[in-house]
Amino acid sequence: MIKFWKKRLKLGTLTENLEFDKELESIKKELKNSIKKRFAGSLAIRMVDSGSCNACEAECNALSNPYYDLERLGIYFVASPRHADIMLLSGLMTFNMTPHVVDAYNQMPEPKWVITLGDCPAGKSIFDNSYATNAPANNYLDIAYHIPGCPPSPKDIIKGLLEFLKEADLNV
Amino acid sequence: MRFIARYAKELKDCFEVVTIYDTKILKEQIDKSKPIIKSISNIYPSAIWFERKMQDDFGIIAEDAFDTRALIQHEHFPTNIHPLRKDFKEKSLQNAKFKEYKYEVIDGDGVFGVAVGPIHAGIIEPGHFHFSQSGERMLHLEVRHFYKNRGIEKMLEGKTLQEAKPMVERISGNESIAYQICLRDIMLKSSNSNLPLGLKSYHAFLLELERVIHHLTDLGFIPNDAGFGAALAYCSKLSEDARRVMQTLTKSRFGFGAIDFTTHFTNKEFLKSWIGNLKEDIDYFNSWIIDIPSLWDRLDTTGVLSKANAIKYSTVGVVARASGVDIDRRDDPFYKDSGFIKALQKSEDVAARFKLRILELKNSLVMMEHFLESSSDTLDIKECKDGEYYSFAESSIGEIFMAIDIKNGVIDRFFVRDPSFINWQALHLMMTKDIIADFPLINKSCDLSYAGNDL
Repeated sequence: MIKFWKKRLKLGTLTENLEFDKELESIKKELKNSIKKRFAGSLAIRMVDSGSCNACEAECNALSNPYYDLERLGIYFVASPRHADIMLLSGLMTFNMTPHVVDAYNQMPEPKWVITLGDCPAGKSIFDNSYATNAPANNYLDIAYHIPGCPPSPKDIIKGLLEFLKEADLNV
Repeated sequence: MRFIARYAKELKDCFEVVTIYDTKILKEQIDKSKPIIKSISNIYPSAIWFERKMQDDFGIIAEDAFDTRALIQHEHFPTNIHPLRKDFKEKSLQNAKFKEYKYEVIDGDGVFGVAVGPIHAGIIEPGHFHFSQSGERMLHLEVRHFYKNRGIEKMLEGKTLQEAKPMVERISGNESIAYQICLRDIMLKSSNSNLPLGLKSYHAFLLELERVIHHLTDLGFIPNDAGFGAALAYCSKLSEDARRVMQTLTKSRFGFGAIDFTTHFTNKEFLKSWIGNLKEDIDYFNSWIIDIPSLWDRLDTTGVLSKANAIKYSTVGVVARASGVDIDRRDDPFYKDSGFIKALQKSEDVAARFKLRILELKNSLVMMEHFLESSSDTLDIKECKDGEYYSFAESSIGEIFMAIDIKNGVIDRFFVRDPSFINWQALHLMMTKDIIADFPLINKSCDLSYAGNDL
């Protein structure tokens, strides 16, 4: 145990990109009303994979590692669409997943938004259209914001989410 | 004789069913108007998914198979469509009438079902798990996948190997380098080229780096699923460091586009010091984690896959080696000269798969130091000749098998068997003595790919 705390003290805090904290502060002020009313200062995300290569999911998992520590910004991933404000959608909207994605969206309480993550759901990936895919996702859902990349890095994802908070019309 | 894969292709006036074993390849030609074959699933149970897939893709029926339900074609899939036949050219499908899928369930007083997925409660790929429960005890589990089926096999037909490369890289993001190495070997074989040692070492370095990233992630997530989050915080820091090394070397955090025919070792001193530090960190992790009895209480004797079952179900990779089955595609003179030591475990449980990952991780770092000493090389690939080519690679999950037929310079049939495609079929065997709360732990200890499985 002593060994553990020694190591812990030596490592210190690893979190990077502390500028995002400041940015979030200013966004919070700008959008005082909408954020407070709609999200109570936090943003709950339901991640749905509609046929990706798993790289986008790996990057979302990386958001919780000590370098990025996404939850400090009040943005966190939830286990059910019924708890979510945002659906973060990756993948090619495969034929087999499409009904389940739409189902998950229908389970989300209003107000709700869909953010597409990575090139696949935007129909801009290196994959060809095939009989088994239905991308782009906007044929099925209204997309509020898009975070491009193959895959977008964790930093790109944080930037994208904050950008969405700034830009999107949250006063539904 | 170990079963590896079974797949079909369409020739001019017949279908050909290819069955791959570790010691031989069998080819059977069958009439297109009467596409019936004999099932081998009674001897090799994990052949059943291959045969069900063939039925969906080509309409070939394994007449005496114990399971003939559709595998890839889900409830809304149009009937009588066989997408991998040459005359199928549709680019989109319309939803057909809902066809019920009959799950394997156990019936009886007090026995109930638990359906999990396809969308899971975390940041995970989609797939469905269907449990038959007696209280907390799992009586049976059916794994149902192919929600992520992207039609990759069909997508790659008509492309040159170069055109196919970016897509092959992204079949499974966790195993990108391993897939690229499979494709590289087919490029080499089809153009009759030899890989210079420097390049081979560079590629092997990247493959071990990918393994390091993946194993580190698992070493964090397995304890996390047993409620020990500190391990995840520690290991996810290390895996992020490793991913950044991948980014520095290949310009991609996942090594997309990394395997070409030039060595790109930049800044060897930095790589050496990173490896040195990681070795110390792993030693620390090992001494720390081994001392947490409440964690081992969860890992020990949970999710046992007996050696006999591991062999019977033709399992590969970490899952097989943790049950004492001696299979590793790296078991050759090149790797042995670089310090490869095959890791094996005997306890057949989650703990075995966890400890095996630590051993493999340490061994990968030793080999990477060795690969760093190699010289720089380049190679010009000549034109690919038509023919049938096979290749293997050992990804962080297990053995990948790839088969490509080239005709008139382009891909005529692309087939790949992810290690997950075999190992998923053995997952239900690990559940029978445990309670449902152990399922996430057992599943994570195998850490199988959905994307590579579904294609």
